[in-house]
Order: sequence, then C-alpha cells, then structure tokens
Amino acid sequence: MTKLEQTEGYRIIHNWMADKGFSPFDFQLKAWKKYAQNYHGLVVAPTGFGKTYSMFLAVLIDYFNHPEQYKKGIKLLWISPLRSLAKDLQIAMQTAIDEIGLDWQAAVRNGDTSTAVRRKQERNMPDILLTTPETMHLLFSQKKNSRWFKNVRCVVVDEWHELLSTKRGVLTELAMVRLRSLSPKIRIWGVSATIGNLEEAKNVLIPFKDVKTTIVTSKEKKKLKIISLLPDEVELLPWAGHLGKQLAKSVLQVIYENNTTLVFTNTRNQAELWYQLLLDEDVDLAGQIAIHHGSIDAKLRNWIEDAINQNLLKVVVCTSSLDLGVDFKPVDCVVQVGSAKGIARFIQRAGRSGHSPYEVSKVYFVPTHTLELIEVSALKEAVKQRDVEAREPMVLTYDVLVQFLVTLAVGEGFNREETFAIIQQTHAFSYMTKDDFEWAMQFITKGGTTLNAYEEFHKVVYDDEKELYVVKSRRISMLHRMNIGAIVSDAMLRVRYLKGGHLGMIEEYFISKLKVGMPFVLAGRILEIVHIKDMTVFVRRSKAKKAITPSWKGGRLPLTSYLSHYLRLKLNDALQPSTRERELKFLNPLLTTQQAHSHIPKSDEFLVEKIQAKEGCHLFFYPFEGRLVNEIMASLIAYRISKLQPITFSIAMNDYGFGLLSDQDIPVTEENLKEILSKEKLMDDMIASINASEVASRKFRDIAVIAGLVVQSQPGARKTNKSLQSSSSLIFKVLEDYEPNNLLLRQAYTEVFNEQLEEARLQEAFDRISKSAVILKEAKGYTPLSFPIKVDGLRNTMSNEKLSDRIARLQKQQYKILT
Amino acid sequence: MNIVTKDIRFGDEVLTLTNQRVLFWKKQEALVLSDIHIGKTAHFQQHGIAIPDTVLLKDLERLQVLIQYFSPKKLIVVGDLFHADYNQNFDVFVQWLQQFDGLEKILIRGNHDRFSTAFYESLGFHTQKQQQYNTLMFVHDAVQTQEDTFYISGHIHPGVRIQMKGRQYLKLPCFQVNSQQLILPAFSLFTGLNTRSELENVRNYAFTDDAILEF
Repeated sequence: MTKLEQTEGYRIIHNWMADKGFSPFDFQLKAWKKYAQNYHGLVVAPTGFGKTYSMFLAVLIDYFNHPEQYKKGIKLLWISPLRSLAKDLQIAMQTAIDEIGLDWQAAVRNGDTSTAVRRKQERNMPDILLTTPETMHLLFSQKKNSRWFKNVRCVVVDEWHELLSTKRGVLTELAMVRLRSLSPKIRIWGVSATIGNLEEAKNVLIPFKDVKTTIVTSKEKKKLKIISLLPDEVELLPWAGHLGKQLAKSVLQVIYENNTTLVFTNTRNQAELWYQLLLDEDVDLAGQIAIHHGSIDAKLRNWIEDAINQNLLKVVVCTSSLDLGVDFKPVDCVVQVGSAKGIARFIQRAGRSGHSPYEVSKVYFVPTHTLELIEVSALKEAVKQRDVEAREPMVLTYDVLVQFLVTLAVGEGFNREETFAIIQQTHAFSYMTKDDFEWAMQFITKGGTTLNAYEEFHKVVYDDEKELYVVKSRRISMLHRMNIGAIVSDAMLRVRYLKGGHLGMIEEYFISKLKVGMPFVLAGRILEIVHIKDMTVFVRRSKAKKAITPSWKGGRLPLTSYLSHYLRLKLNDALQPSTRERELKFLNPLLTTQQAHSHIPKSDEFLVEKIQAKEGCHLFFYPFEGRLVNEIMASLIAYRISKLQPITFSIAMNDYGFGLLSDQDIPVTEENLKEILSKEKLMDDMIASINASEVASRKFRDIAVIAGLVVQSQPGARKTNKSLQSSSSLIFKVLEDYEPNNLLLRQAYTEVFNEQLEEARLQEAFDRISKSAVILKEAKGYTPLSFPIKVDGLRNTMSNEKLSDRIARLQKQQYKILT
Repeated sequence: MNIVTKDIRFGDEVLTLTNQRVLFWKKQEALVLSDIHIGKTAHFQQHGIAIPDTVLLKDLERLQVLIQYFSPKKLIVVGDLFHADYNQNFDVFVQWLQQFDGLEKILIRGNHDRFSTAFYESLGFHTQKQQQYNTLMFVHDAVQTQEDTFYISGHIHPGVRIQMKGRQYLKLPCFQVNSQQLILPAFSLFTGLNTRSELENVRNYAFTDDAILEF
C-alpha cells in the first residue's frame, strides 16, 4: 500500500497549505491517513486548531486519489448543531476549493435558507452540503429524497459532544443509520471537544460492528489562565446573591486592559442586568458594548457577531448563546460572572478568548457571592487534572422514534421490517423490543390500543400498491414538516418595533403579566408594549428610567457531579490553604467564622446544622450535589423525618445544600440522622416523597411536542392552528386515564428518573453519605454556609397530600389569587 | 359522580352552581352549560393527533347523569356545542341525544358553531345569537352590559390560579361572577383553562371533585 504522503492527493493539499505558509498538525495528518484507510472515527482537538481541515481535507485528498469513485451530487455532508457555524465554514471551504482549483461547490441548507435556493438545490445538489440534524430530517421528509444521498462518501458531525446527550443527538444517530442504508460505503466521522466518555461518544455515532473505527486526538493543549476578581476586603462580597455588581468597576478595568472581552452570564436575565450595570458604570461604552443571548433576534445576533469580528466592539455581554460558534479573532479576554456550573462548560467558554493555536486563553471569574470562590478553586484543580464531565447519550426516546417513522412515511414511505432493522442499529434504539416498535406502529397508524376509539385517525396508512407505509393527507404532511426537530421552546412571542425591525423573543408567560405601556428591558433597550397581535408584541422605545427585566425560564443549570466532587475536596483543606490558593486565602476569615460557629466538613464527613430562628427551626444539609439532586434529597429527607412525627416543612435549596424549615422543633439527633440519611429503601422513599405524576406531566411537554401530539404555534406566524390547540398536561391526563400503556407516558417517567431525579447520582450521593461521619452542629445564628440557602435558595413545600387535603389546608391559610 | 351544589343570587334570580361544570336555574327548570366542543377528539384525530373518543363518551356520560339528576325542562348551551367540521363524533352525539327527545334545547351560537340553522333544528336545537328570560340574558361571549340585565356566557374557559404558602400553586376551573355577569366553565373535560380574568370585582367559584370553593 502506498504511503499517504506519496499520493497525488496529499501532494496537492500539501502544496496548497505550503503556499499559505501552513503545515498540517500531527492530528490532522493522522486523521487524513486513517480516513484514507477507510476508517470511521472521532477527531478530538481544542478549538482553533483546524478540526474542520482535518476532515474536509481528508475527503479532498481521497477524491484526488480516487476521482472515479465519486459521482454527481452530494459527496460530503457536514452536520453541525448550530446554524451560525455553517456560514463561515462554507466560506472557508469554498475558498480552499477555489484556490486548489477544484470545481466543487459547497452550500449551506438550514432553516435560514430561502425557498428559492432550496428548490434550486433540490434540482442540483451541491458537492458539499452543510446542514443541521433537523434539516437532515426535513430532507428525509421530501418526496424521492434517497436519490440525493446515494453518492455521499462521507458525513461529518461537527461539535458531536454538544449533540450527544440530547434528543437532537438521537435525530443524528437516526440520520447516520439511514444514510448508511442508502450509501453503504459512507464513512462517518465526528468532531468533538474533550469530554469524559469519548469512546462511548464514538460508538454512539458509529454503532456498526463491521467497520474500523478510531479516535484521533490532538497533542496540542490549550493553555488556560484563570484569575478571580476579588474585592479589597472579604466583607465587601455578600454572603448570598447572584449579580456580583460590587465588582462592576473591576470588570470595567479588565475590559479596558484588553482588546475585546466577552462577559458570560448564566441567564438571559443576568445578561440584561449586567449590560445596564456596565453602561451605568461608564457611559463611554455606549456604541462599543452589545448584548447577545438566545432571545435576541437572529439578525441582530448576526450583526453583533460580525461586529466582533470587525473589531468594532469592546465588550459583549452574553449567555451560552456564544459558547459555541464561529471563532472571534479579536476576542482576547473572557469574563465569567457567577459559577459556570460545570468544568467542560467553563473550559469551552474560556476557549473563546485567545483563539489562535498557541495563545493563552484568559478568563476572569466574578464571584456573585463569597462561597463561589471555593468553586473557582475547585475549577482550577479540575482544569489542572483535565477531568471533564461525561455526556450521557439518550436511549429509547419513543417520541423521536414516532417522529422519525412519520418523517419516513411523509417522505418516500417505509417498509416495516426493513425500518425496524435499520432503527435497531442505532445506539439509542439498540434495546428497543419488537413489541415497542409494534406499539409505535400502532400509535402512528391506529392512534392507540383502545379499540374503536380512534376512528378518524388515519395518520400513517398502508399503501397496498407501493407496499409501504405512507402519509396521504397533505395537511398532516404539512403539520408534520413544521414540527420536525427536537428543540422545544416555551411559548414565545416575537418582539418588534411598531415601525418595523425585530428585536427578539420573549416568553408568553412574561408578557402576560405586563400591561400596555409598562416598560420592560430586551436587548439592552427599555421598551413599552403598544399592542399584541398574531403572536407578535409591537413595542416602542420607552422614556422610563427603570424597567422590569424579564426572567426567561430555564437556563439555571445545576452544578455537575464532577465539579461538586472537586468542591468537596477543596472545602476539605479550605482551612489550610497552600500559598498559591489565592481564593481560599481570601476566604479564610469567612471559613474561620464557619469553623468557629459550626464546622467545615472534611471530605469524609457530612455536616448537618440545626439553627433555631424567629421563623422556626431550620435544619441545613450540605451534600454539594447540585440544585436538582439537592431538591430531591430535601423532599426525601423531609418525608423520612415526617414519619417520625407529623410535621410540615418548607424547603429551600441551592447548588451546595438544602434547608428544611418548620414551625415546630425538628426531632433529630446524630443517632436518628444515620437512619434518616440511610441508603436503604432509597427509591421507595423517593417515590413516596415526590408527586411523580406531577413531575412527569411537566416532562411530558417536550415529548408531546416531539411526538406531534401538541401543535406548536410558531412565533410571528399569522395563522395559528387554533382548533388544534391543547396543552400537554391535558393530553397527559387523557392518556393516563384512557391509554395507560402509551410508551410516551412511560418515557416521561423514565426521563424524570434519569434527568430530574438523576437516580444514579442520588444513589451515589447516599452511598457516599453512608460512608461518612454524620456531624450535627447546633448554631446560634446563620452560618456562612447556611445563609445563602436561607436567603436565596429556591423554595418549595414538601407535600404528598391529596388535592382535597391541600384544599382543606388552603382554606385555613392566607392565599392570593393570581391573574 | 359526586354532585355538589351551591345556590347564589345573581340579579333577581337564584342560580345553583355545581362542581360538575353546569348551572341549574330552578325557577325555569333550565340546565345551563357551555363549551362542550363535540367533535374535538375526532378533529384532532383527523389531523394526526391521537386523542381517544373515550374523552367524548365520558363528557356525554357526565351530561346524561346531570340531566337525570336535575330533570330539567330546558337545556341551554351558551355556545361551542361543536368544535369544528362535521365528523364521526357528531353521529355519536346525535344518537346519544335521542334519549332526551322531550327536552327543550336551546343553543346560543358560539364562534365554533358555524352550521346552518336547519342542521341544528334537525338535532332539535333552537339557535339564537342571544336569548333573554326575565332579566337574564344568555350570550356566548361577554358583551357590553346594559342596566338591569344580567348576562350568562361561556367562551373563555375560566380558571383560577391560587397561590398557597411556600410558593405552591393550584389551578382550578371556576364560575366567574360579578354583579352583572356570570361566566360558565367549559363543560368538556378536554379543554384548557384561562386564568386571565377580564371581569372586574369578580368572585370565583372554583370546584374540585367534591367541593365548591369561593375565592
């Protein structure tokens, strides 16, 4: 076999690179070689090192060496999770193609592509198509679509780590098996950042036993510098809070020391507030500052992204909306406000600065309350160890299965047995039984299993002539195409100026609380509502000085288990910080207070604090397991205590711990705490302590939308499908009453256990606690650890009472009607 | 089925509210309800959304029990008897309706009721845009009120969101009543709730399977 370096294709690419003064990185060369040897695989490299070229050029080399194997139409499919990535990639690829002197055409196709361009593509597909998982499935829903994919030689899934643990990942898996069934010689490659389970990530993307696979990892490591911004004295930082405004001046200084700074916040609400904060601090920033988040209009966001690249902006306040995406050359500094909640996310954000390969990524951390400084210290340790979270792939997502089957039926129609075999190849559905599949078939052809209850249901029908399952109704096809995808958003309204110009999106829930003329903030502007029509809020500029900032739901991520592990370790030696632990040294006075009034838990201890206060008796627990798990633990512990004696609790939690509050004394001792924190009968008690059906009903929302049971009205759409409107909770109830065997219901409960309750993590936490010494401390007043939970922990009440009991209690209480 | 009732004074009349989404006007022996949306499940099915007809059968069964319980002379539906175009659900309803041949049936046309008068007549329903008995005016959607007239309507599917201690919420269907207007809850169980109230000085009579509560 000839060595790759001796081939014509390599020579052409090598010369082209040399002309530009580049030489390939080791991992690129390795990827090219593996590709030439017919491997499938995963390329892992930090951003800025030319991951794109590792795969794109591999295909070009192969083409130059074997032009006879390439036929007309799409040769390379490039699937990425973000639309915004595609545009720049396409330009880079087309430029390379033109310079090399090839007659290929690279083109983008996604939700932003105009109908005219799409029609043109359908007549004559480009050689390289850059697209998204959703658009792939939309293509599958077109008539005679398989002809477009017969000659695809390679499919690349970009940013695979972002898709992996989502239902969009399952859409991608399904696309892979269908592509391979249409083009058996296709090579599948993924491009990923470092995650904890690369081997699994590879096997999920390429689940085939009969192919050679590999992981190509770059040796190049990105250098990362983490600096926390500290006030002059520890007292200046609040014990609780989430804005961090005391440090706005320091942030401003950082902004002026650097060329372009990205200020990352965790929520859109925080972003809007920081935008105002920085402008208030320095009016000269006007014109050089921008705000970027998921609810801001796409056009506006594109403009901001271009402005960053053209070096027109000094600072951009943003959320995870800029986590991924195009590389911004001018950005040389990143500021993170508040905890990033996870190691991978933090590294990714840091990587947005200092983009060229050997530059250092600089990231400043702004603590919003004192204890967050321990988190920075934990983050530093984790980054040093390069210990990054794993991303768990989703399995048995019946909603996506149902959607995919209908997609195929809308497209070319499908054969029952063949399709079962193809779908079962995916990792997501490898454990799907024949019965499960038959249920899905029944669901899309008959509606359900209750006889005669679905007489008007003819969604997918068997076509005797074609011997395929097809969708015949044009209206159903249309509704289905509108619904393809796995991104479910809350009901959003589009916001635009009366005179024209879109600003962004806002939740219906928030708008419903506003009256005409009331000022609110969006995209850094103070606006007032003029009127609402066709899912659009018409606004004008408001002269008001103060306005409400919307809080979008979601976005409040819990601490990952990896980070919480490092957090407990850091707390362990918090009292004796080494000289290089700047954050811990700074925190020393506070930690000494904690130790004096209570205790600092070592990594093999579990601390419980009991504090008698005016409002009642508090009990605080510190599992450091992230908000969601802490919440579940809280209701579980509350349930177990309430078995000792009748008692009602109010529950509060944050990422570090949770608190129980009661108006009577809570009867705990170190002895019975052992029992209360026992890992025995964990799942039984947990199920008894939460209202599982209520939580599942909330989870069911996404499932109902993906499976096509709820028709989403598109923001800004003129025509809403009003006669088909119903809420997912209503459908959940109907199905629970009349179709209890519906697999979509079972999926809702499974998702509750896996994601909401994080069953595995909960189990692990209790395992750890059972091995720890339980320490009960009675404190006179709030301690540095308990104060943030008391002040701004999210509140809840432990209740497993029946509705009628709750009503009875309600009648004795003070209540408030909300309109 | 547990029927709980509560008498209220509305204008010059005494009306009986129930926890089963209907109102009984004893003086006229009239059973009043709104928004039953016959045909909704089949309409969803026709559009590829699998909602079982059992939902409809349950609604009809509930109505049957209520008619037997109150044995009214009149049945007044203040709108949205049907959900959309003609479908198989209609046949089920027509068949079911035969047992109440002797009942006087009045339909106040709602936004969903788009069929010809002749069609409703063939089912035994007299249709009206609005209908007045004494001082009570039956309409589908709330209208501009006139002095000394009291309006009974439906259309909005009223519900109430109640905040309890500790950030807990409850959402319940209700009758919304003020001095001149009374809005009925939707009769069909396959309907959502609208918790935004347009009425001023409103009292909400919310209900559960075994109680009526006043907020």
